[in-house]
Amino acid sequence: MQTTLSTILPDRLSTILSRLDDTVATRLEELRIRESKPLEVNYDGRYAFVTPLGGLTMSPTESYQPSKEDCMKLLDIVTNHSLYSFEEELRRGYITVRGGHRIGIAGRVVLDRGHVKLLRDISGFNIRLAREVRGAADRVIRSLIDPASDTVHHTLVVSPPQCGKTTLIRDLARIISEGSWPGLTGQSVQERGLKVGIVDERSEIAASVAGVPTFDVGPRTDVLDACPKAEGMMMMIRSLSPQVLIVDEIGRKEDAEAIQEAMHAGIRVIATAHGQDIDDVKRRPGLAPLFEAGVFRRYVVLRGVGHQRSYHLYDRDGRSLQSMYGKAASVR
Amino acid sequence: MIKLVGAVLIIFASTLFGFYKASLYAARPRQIRQLVHALKRLATEIGYGSTPLPVALRKLSAQCQRPLDQMFATIADRLSGGRSETVRQVWQETIQRFWGQTAMKAPEQETLLELASTLGISDREDQLKHLELAITGLQHEEAVARDEQQKFEKLSRSLGMLGGALIVILIY
Repeated sequence: MQTTLSTILPDRLSTILSRLDDTVATRLEELRIRESKPLEVNYDGRYAFVTPLGGLTMSPTESYQPSKEDCMKLLDIVTNHSLYSFEEELRRGYITVRGGHRIGIAGRVVLDRGHVKLLRDISGFNIRLAREVRGAADRVIRSLIDPASDTVHHTLVVSPPQCGKTTLIRDLARIISEGSWPGLTGQSVQERGLKVGIVDERSEIAASVAGVPTFDVGPRTDVLDACPKAEGMMMMIRSLSPQVLIVDEIGRKEDAEAIQEAMHAGIRVIATAHGQDIDDVKRRPGLAPLFEAGVFRRYVVLRGVGHQRSYHLYDRDGRSLQSMYGKAASVR
Repeated sequence: MIKLVGAVLIIFASTLFGFYKASLYAARPRQIRQLVHALKRLATEIGYGSTPLPVALRKLSAQCQRPLDQMFATIADRLSGGRSETVRQVWQETIQRFWGQTAMKAPEQETLLELASTLGISDREDQLKHLELAITGLQHEEAVARDEQQKFEKLSRSLGMLGGALIVILIY
């Protein structure tokens, strides 16, 4: 993880962060870089500032404060010296770099007829570290299997940001694609793998570089990288014939329509949505049709950060199936 | 006898120098024109293809002649290899390093160096404007260079030989 991170950071920041204590470095969740403000790390649900020597402090004055030059260099590197080729990403406010890390960007917005045209004077970066956790979905998969048809239920993963949604569905994709879930029937693992399609709008699930996934998403998985979700789902249905469709962070009306389309085509869907709990998501206007039709058979609600992470599973009517706490849930 | 050989050598050397000068006058507008073509091509790559700068520069280098091809190739290599260098730094250093090998003069270099502070760090529209500006500047220099070529190319050839003759007459 540290190696991929150091390739996107300017020398000075990279040196400082290489001096971080191992316990922090391995649990790093976010790295926040703001011009002339303390360099901040988020780990285990906590935060701290970083001193020029790589120590942690809570005092802003003792911390290292990235200069304008640091920020310029960082932007130059993450955009491959070509900011102009990232206009679409800048409009959305983030760039995904090699290794699946997502870099959120703050700056001054330029408008064009009331819509965000681009960001300029960029001065704030939030580097969210992507981490592949094999086995993150081991405990959950059991409850998502539909033994009658030897596939998975339509599932919605609900969680606030930073609780491990993407990690969970990435591992689900791998397990389903490999067919390596604990089964009841006597089939061998090889015969059970399903064709999985991932629409990876933010390149976070598979972290594709030049179209090839860098994370293990399974042997029978197709990834549509950087593709808008609704359109991507339709493309998948039409041409890639997936048995299971996986999408991250649905929310708009078009997403809901595309999901229903997929379900009617006999494809099982696993999606994620931002929210504290199921009721939260139900209130989102774009997703309402999905709940009216009662399409999801399973809900996985993630809570807590760091070591307090937990899973809660519900069936289509919101009845609790199972809750899991503690170690098994300590995923990122 | 030795005197005669010396005189011939002097005339020969100064003639060569004259021809060399003349070739510089001829090469300058040609190289500027190449540079203009290269920048136009770069503008197309940025404007229509959104091609990342290192890739675009490598394409340019394939289409230019020496020494411009090496200049662009070096910049592209450094941008894709080194991680902590900014475009500004790489562009400036490389151009200054290769400038001696070209026949171009200070005003063209100035124009190119000005590009360093904008290339790659703004949106497409802005990039195109700056490239446009640089191209206009270079085209102006090309016209000047062509004037100079007409005036001085032949002149420096004959001056070289005549200068040699003068020296010989003075010291004979």
